[in-house]
Amino acid sequence: MTEHFQITLNGKLVETDIDSRALLIEVVRDCGAKGAHIGCLTGDCGACSLEVDGRLAKSCLVLAVSAAGREVVTIEGSRDAIARELQSAFVACNGFQCGYCTSGMIMVAIALLRANPSPTEAEIRNAISGNLCRCTGYEDIVRAIASAADALRGRTFERNT
Amino acid sequence: MIRHNFEYRAPREIEEALQILAGAGDDCAVLGGGTWLIPNMTFAAHQPGIVLDPKHLGFASISECGGEVVVGARATYVDAMRSPIAVAHLPLLVSMARGITGGISITGQGTIGGSACYGNPSSDVPACLVAMRARLRLRSIGGTRDLGASDYFLGKFATARRSDEMLVGIVFPKMTSDVRWGYYKLKFSTGSWPIVTAAAMVVNDCVRVALGAATAVPILTEMVLPADGGGEPLAELAKSCASISADEELVDELAGPGYRRRVAHSIVLRALEQCRGRE
Ligand SMILES: Cc1cc2nc3c(=O)[nH]c(=O)nc-3n(C[C@@H](O)[C@@H](O)[C@H](O)COP(=O)(O)OP(=O)(O)OC[C@H]3O[C@@H](n4cnc5c(N)ncnc54)[C@H](O)[C@@H]3O)c2cc1C
Ligand code: FES
Ligand code: FES
Repeated sequence: MTEHFQITLNGKLVETDIDSRALLIEVVRDCGAKGAHIGCLTGDCGACSLEVDGRLAKSCLVLAVSAAGREVVTIEGSRDAIARELQSAFVACNGFQCGYCTSGMIMVAIALLRANPSPTEAEIRNAISGNLCRCTGYEDIVRAIASAADALRGRTFERNT
Repeated sequence: MIRHNFEYRAPREIEEALQILAGAGDDCAVLGGGTWLIPNMTFAAHQPGIVLDPKHLGFASISECGGEVVVGARATYVDAMRSPIAVAHLPLLVSMARGITGGISITGQGTIGGSACYGNPSSDVPACLVAMRARLRLRSIGGTRDLGASDYFLGKFATARRSDEMLVGIVFPKMTSDVRWGYYKLKFSTGSWPIVTAAAMVVNDCVRVALGAATAVPILTEMVLPADGGGEPLAELAKSCASISADEELVDELAGPGYRRRVAHSIVLRALEQCRGRE
């Protein structure tokens, strides 16, 4: 069945007709936000992570029709200081190899650093525990997130002094 | 894309939702967080003709009602962790929620009610509800009924919820300050399914232990704590809470025959030791 569907995707209103059987990840990618990836479709890998109304979600577990009217943000729409710092830290620390998991890892890291600007290593590991990476062995990802947190804190410190 | 055709309904009124359920019965699946239902539909393991989304109906809050706490059927694990009411009065449930794997998206999407409705024996919720004397609040066009958790879980993926009923909430007696409690689960890695879980509550010298994930439904044991509550007597008590026959033991690719029977008492003992630590 076709449904008329409307969401705000990365700040822009998107109106389109979708199949009511479509998953949110599929619709978001069809609308051009290809930074969110499809890995497992079982909720295990986290490659499809994005934000729905400010909450992190695995979008393969969401029926697109049920997200109608919501505000969806993918890696493409994540442009604040935290997102930018994380993106450079992933490059500087070799936080990716093939890059398939990277957008999901960064979306999770953004949610983590917003809620907790000074995470411990254990908290970083816990935050990314729902995201799988076949390449890096995770160490450089953990390092990248910690280094982005350090850099962001440094900047806040500079501003406050 | 989900392969089979289905109708998506998101009614604005509970009465309309209950009418849909009454008409469609088994052919209608209520959508919780979707963390089980949607992949099951994607991989064609479940092909309901109607998906009923209760997103406009509420049932997501956690509220106090006298000596009880009502956790709405749509409350997620994160909702429980962030609720001052749950933190103050249902610490065992909050501790269970903190241990759910899959990252913050799963704990923010998956609902406690959805887990209770699925009845997967290898999950965290069932034993907690049984140990905590929770009641499942089920609503249909015929009215509302509360069912104790011990009568609600009937078998592997089988509960006493009728197909015309929607779970609207889970009612918990408040855990008073004299309740000592423990929750412990065995899993093989950070992200793995629970192999055995144990939820324990001690009030005065009465112990209530629910052993989960070892059998199709949690095993509840109620006993009087031995006068000398430590060491050997506690280990003996744990053994008696964890006696499982070969026939009833759950066996799967994660734990072969005999494994859960061998480890169950240690997991119960650890939950009981947590109770002792909270004296
Ligand atoms: C990566 C990952 C990690 C996980 N880790 C854990 C873990 O550590 N421990 C654990 O126990 N589980 C775990 N799970 C399973 C997790 O999905 C469930 O625990 C979750 O709570 C299910 O809730 P839900 O709201 O998503 O249910 P849904 O998938 O929405 O629904 C499940 C079933 O319940 C029915 N249902 C839902 N709500 C209602 C209602 N109100 N009335 C009637 N029927 C209803 C649905 O129709 C469906 O049949 C994990 C899942 C994933 C994907
Ligand atoms: S594709 Fe969604 S979690 Fe893997
Ligand atoms: S970099 Fe290849 S999967 Fe993570």
